[in-house]
Amino acid sequence: METGIVTMNEMVAVQDCGLIIDLKTAESQVFGALIMGITYSLFEECVYDPKTGIMLNADMEFYRLAGLKDVGQLKVHMMTGNGYEERGVVGLGEPPVISPGAAIANAVANACGVRVPYLPLTPDRVLTALQQKGGIA
Amino acid sequence: MKSFEYAAPKSLDEATGLLGDKWGDTEVLAGGTDLITCMKQQIVAPKRVVSLKNVADLKGIKAEGKSIRIGATTTLGDLIANSSIQEHFPALITAAKSLHSPQVLTLGTVGGEVLQRPRCWYYRNGLGLYNDSQVRGGDNRYHAIFGNDGKALFVHPSSLAPIFVALGATMIIAGAKGKKRNVAAAKFFQTPKSDADRESALKPNEILAEIEVPTSGLKNAAYEIRHRQVIDWPYVTAAVAFAAKNGAVSDARVVLGHVAPIPWLSQAASKALNGAAISETTAARAGDAATQGAKPLSKNEYKLQLVRVAVKRAALAAGAA
Repeated sequence: METGIVTMNEMVAVQDCGLIIDLKTAESQVFGALIMGITYSLFEECVYDPKTGIMLNADMEFYRLAGLKDVGQLKVHMMTGNGYEERGVVGLGEPPVISPGAAIANAVANACGVRVPYLPLTPDRVLTALQQKGGIA
Repeated sequence: MKSFEYAAPKSLDEATGLLGDKWGDTEVLAGGTDLITCMKQQIVAPKRVVSLKNVADLKGIKAEGKSIRIGATTTLGDLIANSSIQEHFPALITAAKSLHSPQVLTLGTVGGEVLQRPRCWYYRNGLGLYNDSQVRGGDNRYHAIFGNDGKALFVHPSSLAPIFVALGATMIIAGAKGKKRNVAAAKFFQTPKSDADRESALKPNEILAEIEVPTSGLKNAAYEIRHRQVIDWPYVTAAVAFAAKNGAVSDARVVLGHVAPIPWLSQAASKALNGAAISETTAARAGDAATQGAKPLSKNEYKLQLVRVAVKRAALAAGAA
């Protein structure tokens, strides 16, 4: 908590998408979505220079993407059986990528007792929020 | 990339003879992990590139008397694998390992790592290295919090340089016609005054040949604060070295990385460590002292807290080493 750096330990996704035709493919879709969700929650940000308007981090060095070690343990559970399958095929492309931002931000608020109302959750933002609360734990 | 003449001399004398007396006309190629990128992006456009790959005596690590000499073209991977370095300088091992990328460790060299050009995103986007008004009024989250009174606001990008300064290393420089001169690491890294200058004491026709690190038994450790756990640039690094007699610390040096245009020797933090045993309290006190005199820019005040933590953790790690 003294560095403001957020790291992922574990994340669980429970997803309903109606009738699942291929369980492995459906689960893989959710794993991918979680990784994208972690990446935009913690790292991804386009930085533009306010004067010239050029993008300052149009490279893989400062436009950060999560690597394998940044992702933590992921668990995916697909809802199947009665009540789900008879509804037929429902889309699975975007839904699981939306909730990680809120889930991770909530986890940070729960861990340090202060809301950081911006994504990505970079150390400067987390430390600023902690300081406004009255000091770094 | 603009076309250029390529030379791969077999001796150091030949190599220095091929260099020009103005920065930018000629560039020295070691691992190429930075230079080639700079050339592709046309940040530098040399007329001649002098490769050091055939200069055999620049490579390798030798223990000699009370010091270890590291050849400038020793790869970072070989540095990590060397048993004398592992025994005497855990700080160097930690820092080199933190570079992570197998490509960089295999190709990148120790000399190239300390002489790489700044990563300032204004510089890398072709807006120049001394564009201080742009940086002050722009996005300076990764820029300097120390030594930033002048036009140079970038941070020194090297992970190893602060450790060489903390360990009291000597940089051995080869000049024209076989001349050699020695410069202390603390004086080797310099804040350049203009675009016509570079970030070290090297002259355009000189080559960093070796780095001599004394094995005087200093306890040492390095700590870096980074966002990603995979390859990433650190926000702040700290190198700590000190002598320990019966538990009491003396001759402490605390050197910060990524906070100033040069590796930043913090006198206040070094003083704070001297005289007592390393404990949570003394390490934290040194961390607080390390922020003295900092002048954050509009977007990098958070680095102060990271300096406190990096120094504290490096001091504790050195104490436990």
